[in-house]
Amino acid sequence: MDELVKNEAGDRIYTLNLGPQHPSTHGVLRILLDLDGEYIVKADPVIGYGHRGHEKMGENRLYRQFFPNTSRIDYLAGLLYNHGFVLTVEKFAGIKVPERAKYIRVIASELNRISSHLLWFGTYLLDIGGITPFLYAFDDREQILDILDTITGSRLTYSYCRLGGVARDVDSKFIDMTRAFLKRMSSRWADYEALVSKNVIFIHRTRDVGVIDEELARQYGVTGPNLRACGVAFDVRRSEPYEVYDRFDFEIPTGSRGDALDRYDVRFREMQQSCRIIEQALDHLPEGEILTPKVPQKLPVPKGEVYFAFESPRGLTAYYMVGDGSQTPYRCHIRVPSFGNLNVLNEVLPGTLVADAIAILGSIDVVIPEIDR
Amino acid sequence: MSEGFWGSEWFRLILGLVIVLAFSQLNALFLVWLERKVSGHIQLRPGPMEVGPHGLLQTIADGVKLIGKELILPLQADKKLFFLAPVLVFTPVLVGFLVLPFGPGLVIHDMNVGVLLVFAFSTITVLAILTGGWASNNKYALLGAVRSVAQNVAYEIPLLLAVMSVVLMVHSLSFSQIVESQKTVWFIFIQPLAALIYLIAATAETNRAPFDIPEAESELVAGFHTEYSGMGFGLFFLAEYTNMFIVCAVATSLFLGGWNGLFGISLGIPGVCWFLLKTYFLIFVIMWVRWTFPRVRFDQLMNFSWKVMIPLSLANLVITAIVVKII
Amino acid sequence: MKIKDIEARMGKQFAGCPLERDEAGVTGALWSISVPLAGLRDAATEFKDAGFFLESITALDFEDTFELVYHFNCYEPCSRVIVRMLCGHDQLAPTICDIFRGAVWLEREVHDFFGIVFSGNSDMRPLLLPEDADYHPLRKTFGKVGAYHKREVIYG
Repeated sequence: MDELVKNEAGDRIYTLNLGPQHPSTHGVLRILLDLDGEYIVKADPVIGYGHRGHEKMGENRLYRQFFPNTSRIDYLAGLLYNHGFVLTVEKFAGIKVPERAKYIRVIASELNRISSHLLWFGTYLLDIGGITPFLYAFDDREQILDILDTITGSRLTYSYCRLGGVARDVDSKFIDMTRAFLKRMSSRWADYEALVSKNVIFIHRTRDVGVIDEELARQYGVTGPNLRACGVAFDVRRSEPYEVYDRFDFEIPTGSRGDALDRYDVRFREMQQSCRIIEQALDHLPEGEILTPKVPQKLPVPKGEVYFAFESPRGLTAYYMVGDGSQTPYRCHIRVPSFGNLNVLNEVLPGTLVADAIAILGSIDVVIPEIDR
Repeated sequence: MSEGFWGSEWFRLILGLVIVLAFSQLNALFLVWLERKVSGHIQLRPGPMEVGPHGLLQTIADGVKLIGKELILPLQADKKLFFLAPVLVFTPVLVGFLVLPFGPGLVIHDMNVGVLLVFAFSTITVLAILTGGWASNNKYALLGAVRSVAQNVAYEIPLLLAVMSVVLMVHSLSFSQIVESQKTVWFIFIQPLAALIYLIAATAETNRAPFDIPEAESELVAGFHTEYSGMGFGLFFLAEYTNMFIVCAVATSLFLGGWNGLFGISLGIPGVCWFLLKTYFLIFVIMWVRWTFPRVRFDQLMNFSWKVMIPLSLANLVITAIVVKII
Repeated sequence: MKIKDIEARMGKQFAGCPLERDEAGVTGALWSISVPLAGLRDAATEFKDAGFFLESITALDFEDTFELVYHFNCYEPCSRVIVRMLCGHDQLAPTICDIFRGAVWLEREVHDFFGIVFSGNSDMRPLLLPEDADYHPLRKTFGKVGAYHKREVIYG
């Protein structure tokens, strides 16, 4: 038992190796926690277990061939990454997209965003010990997967967008299913609120836990719902509108304290806003082409660089590509939001309890393979 | 000699022990099945359906699987203590059955200190958890064990204080007498606060959600039994459910009138059925709570006990004592 | 407008450095400025004081040099700015992890992939690669490589 209570400085600090296989590290994250009793003295996240070398693969593939990779970077928001990638290449090569395809992309992306948030909602409650909401959330998420299945043919790694449009047109079945889903969700929010948001144990577990203030967020480049929870209404869909997001009326939910409860609240309201966007997009879905007919096999990519940022469920995501005029990028870099969001834990975790550490980690909503790339 | 033996207290004890052993195992298996069914229906899914009608035999299949599994001893674990702990956790649970009054006269050994006996022995469970957690040579297990000790110490006090208010009213520590005196009015109507405190503290005592922090799976993997495999884990598991049955049975005896019907109306239902009905209802309530609430945090749990439960139960006890004295 | 503020600051601080405006918006940034390697810390301090955050650090491997590309952004619409600098294959880059604390990991990542050492960053352990990794996969000398250019081939 000696090594259990290892004390280098003659004090009672010991190290707990949380992960890489642990029920609440969401993938393969390992955190080295120096503990004093149950209080955390130092936290050192160790990442890279899921490193697949996507950036290197990007340099070895044609722009077109890199598509399937993109939906595997963040497997919970595959469609958004896919969407962002085609937008990047379209911007680089100057490819025009038909209106209908833009709307379809937005609808599919927002559905994917809700499914990602729903998964987060379920697993977060699981992290703090509530098992039932997890299954409710997955039940709802299943509806989205079924809807996306009808147009993309897959449930997780979609590869749905194409340069100059989308792979398949939506039919009335898709629209009916989506409208039914929106109707279903409008009554579900109240259920979730009664079961979780107003639960006194849940509120006590999350309020004032893991506070990230604006300055700390800025230091670490925290973006997405985690940033909005500390009161900054920064959303790429609003600040640099891409696709047709500037035509929709939606709010950017913000919090004030920047604690886990605010992050929960922001994501919760974000799902409702996504529903609003889908509803408006369905109402104004134009007729017409879904794919630009004349996208040349040999893409007209220039020399130089392109940088395109979009809002994934976890925050500001960006593709940075440098082209040398050939059909493969010279450099392909992906800016992932979870990177900064996880990094900030170095400063947030010390001083909290192990139980809080799990609650904070869950509230940050990290997808580890996204960081590892 | 033989006739003397068949009618003696010894025969009663041995017969009781056999019945208790059989009942506690079957009951625990049934409760595991019930838990899975309850959780399933709460979570919009059917639960086990394949083995036996409505999956009734699922837990037996699970039990066979657990028995067939290898017992793994972690490196540098304390071998003696490691294997002692699961045995230690199960034996005191069985003692509880000795004094539980299932019906009028249906009690293995009616002791005049029955209430004390049950709680005295249930405290040993925490010793077993500490032993298992310590012997595992695993930090999660140790953390779980340490939490468990702190939690049990904190919740033993309001639990006993709540029980004492009932004992003060009856002037007896015998379960049969306590139940007898609830013939017309159950004590839950006279002592609602004590009943509530008892139920909360008992949930914490048995490490059930939302107070399941010693084994909080999202924090401590599996807490004190992280390193146990096969029947080692199985015994901890069965003990948890048997323990749950005992605290609910005690609650039934203390607050819900034991084998008595509501307000003395028995509706022709035998006393033992009343008793089991109420016990299983309480068990269902505890399961219901588990599948509804998230887990509380450790310090919140301790604060709740020391700052809310103990003062309340103390006040309740004092008021009871004064009222009993006046009457 | 923080973007006007930073433009003025950078103009004063790096008067002689080329500032390229991107009217078409392909680079995603309003303008990019090339500064000498030694000026990185001053530039980062200006960005920090102006209320910007560090969005991304990345590097490019050319036959003649590395190029470090820093993207800064602030919480206002369309305010992204690029700071770029050349860093020879055998040169050390200055760290900015005391200016933006989140840069520690970003610099570790660049070090992983390119082997660029950031002097002053005390934590240069591999971040995404195995702990004992002694290779730098995004260098054009590692593994399968499509093309290896001099910088002028792409940027003229």
